[in-house]
Amino acid sequence: MSEAGPKPRMRSRRIAGRNQAGRAGATIAALKPSSDRPDFLGFGLGLRPQHYSEILEGDPPIDWFEIISENYMVPGGKPLHMLDRIRERYPVVMHGVSMSIASTAPVNYDYLRDLKRLADRVAPRWISDHLCWTGVHGKNLHDLLPIPYTQEALDHVVERVQTVQEFLGRPLTLENVSTYVQFGTSEMAEWEFLAELTARTGCFLLFDVNNVYVSAFNHGYDPETFIAGIPQDRVVQFHLAGHSHMETHIIDTHDHPVCDDVWTLYESAVRRFGAVSTMIERDDNIPPLAELVAEVNKARKIAAGVLGADGRNGRTQ
Amino acid sequence: MGARNSHRSPDPKSDFAALQERFQRGVLDHDDSVLADILAGPRERRDVLLAVYRHAYRARLVEIVQQDYEYLLAHIGEEAFAELAHAYVEARPSLQPNARWFSHELPEFLQETRPWRDAPELAELAALERALSDAFDAADAPVMTIERLAAIPPTEWGAVRFVPHPSAIRFDVTTNAAEIWVAHKEGREPPAARLLEVPAHLLVWREDLVPKFRILEDEEAMAWDEAVAGLPFGTICEMLAFRADPESAPTRAAVLLQGWIVSGLLKA
Ligand SMILES: [Fe+2]
Repeated sequence: MSEAGPKPRMRSRRIAGRNQAGRAGATIAALKPSSDRPDFLGFGLGLRPQHYSEILEGDPPIDWFEIISENYMVPGGKPLHMLDRIRERYPVVMHGVSMSIASTAPVNYDYLRDLKRLADRVAPRWISDHLCWTGVHGKNLHDLLPIPYTQEALDHVVERVQTVQEFLGRPLTLENVSTYVQFGTSEMAEWEFLAELTARTGCFLLFDVNNVYVSAFNHGYDPETFIAGIPQDRVVQFHLAGHSHMETHIIDTHDHPVCDDVWTLYESAVRRFGAVSTMIERDDNIPPLAELVAEVNKARKIAAGVLGADGRNGRTQ
Repeated sequence: MGARNSHRSPDPKSDFAALQERFQRGVLDHDDSVLADILAGPRERRDVLLAVYRHAYRARLVEIVQQDYEYLLAHIGEEAFAELAHAYVEARPSLQPNARWFSHELPEFLQETRPWRDAPELAELAALERALSDAFDAADAPVMTIERLAAIPPTEWGAVRFVPHPSAIRFDVTTNAAEIWVAHKEGREPPAARLLEVPAHLLVWREDLVPKFRILEDEEAMAWDEAVAGLPFGTICEMLAFRADPESAPTRAAVLLQGWIVSGLLKA
């Protein structure tokens, strides 16, 4: 077994600042597509604790922030305190990593209750997680694990999404993940699975451009086919991130700037999906805020090139 | 393996569930049966692709343990810590969705498992780091203020019971783990580990969003523990009087109480 090489990213964390310590001193299943589609938020960034003070002390030109829900699913203290202050000034979107929507294990209602409690506090524009599973038999692998694209899996995930949407009282937004393996039993392509899922549940899609690029390379298909296979009106958010190229495969590490190929693919995605809230995800090697603002501005410029200056000329609701 | 891969079960969910089970065993236990479910990539073998998940699982959790026990890592060094973190990851699979709690049992693991249990300062250093993390994001609560206290009529003083802030954590250590923590915090060479003649009383809490700790004198530790146990202030005063100079006991009790209030240790 080889235990070298980078690991795919999963979540950012959180206990930043701990060691300042010192001595004494509605039935959603019946949702009609598009009727409840959230607004275009512009160009945002994943909120990371390293940037709290820069954000609150400066006035960075960022339109909105995405939080990792789990980082704030804690009893209290600084994380929630900072989040309250940031959400007073910016629209916030909640992005989770452990809903395990595609797991065959029972639905974890404790998790959903905590998630809902956080949503009540944050009033996010939408709540997203990933089309993946994170474990079965009570164990959590804290990873975004791949599924077979079968009718059976689709039926199962549809039911789970409906359950969760009913519990949360709002539509869910699901993200395509980076995958490293494909299963022999798959009966359809990932984009067909996603298209069916959104058609049957009314869920929205978070289109991670980098994940499409990574999975397309790893499995040998054209990422443009993926883009073309996703319904135009269901994508409410784009993720852009960097990855690590291992020659024979790519790993989604979120520790680099967005690469040129992914920017090119982003342009295609904007051409197809129109004005969609876009953000940069960085989870490792986190640079100063200004560097990420520059990447956010690059996305702004590319979108404006396709849609016109205000980024709204394309497909809007 | 053949039987597992056949499609003979009548349960419509069984194929998907069985695949997830195999995949999880493939990652957690290095069981290779799931390889039969996986296709070779266009440029890479299936076992190498599965190994991405196997590696990622361990690397991610090891990194979490590293981040959560920064000074323990500094204390024993990267290599020894990696060995510890890997042992912990294999011994204690995560049982809940939030990675925030994954490393929470490390102090107990250190206390119970060889070779670490033979060096008790390691479990105690880890316990201090964990307590600071727990204080960091413990529940919020309004804190008791001097003004609020002053509003209590003197006749009722004896019956007042104090409730600790939810972030407060009290425990004893038998080694100089706290001294070791402070040395790492200040970037100094840590002292050699040693057993204390008598246990030290640590109190960890959060003040203005920042986790803190201090070492309590015997008398304060006793008073705090009794207060937390729900004893009224009058009884605590009596205990202090019994312990040492009865004349000054009320003043001593008042000074302790004032210190707790000023530090935000008591709930309103
Ligand atoms: Fe993403």
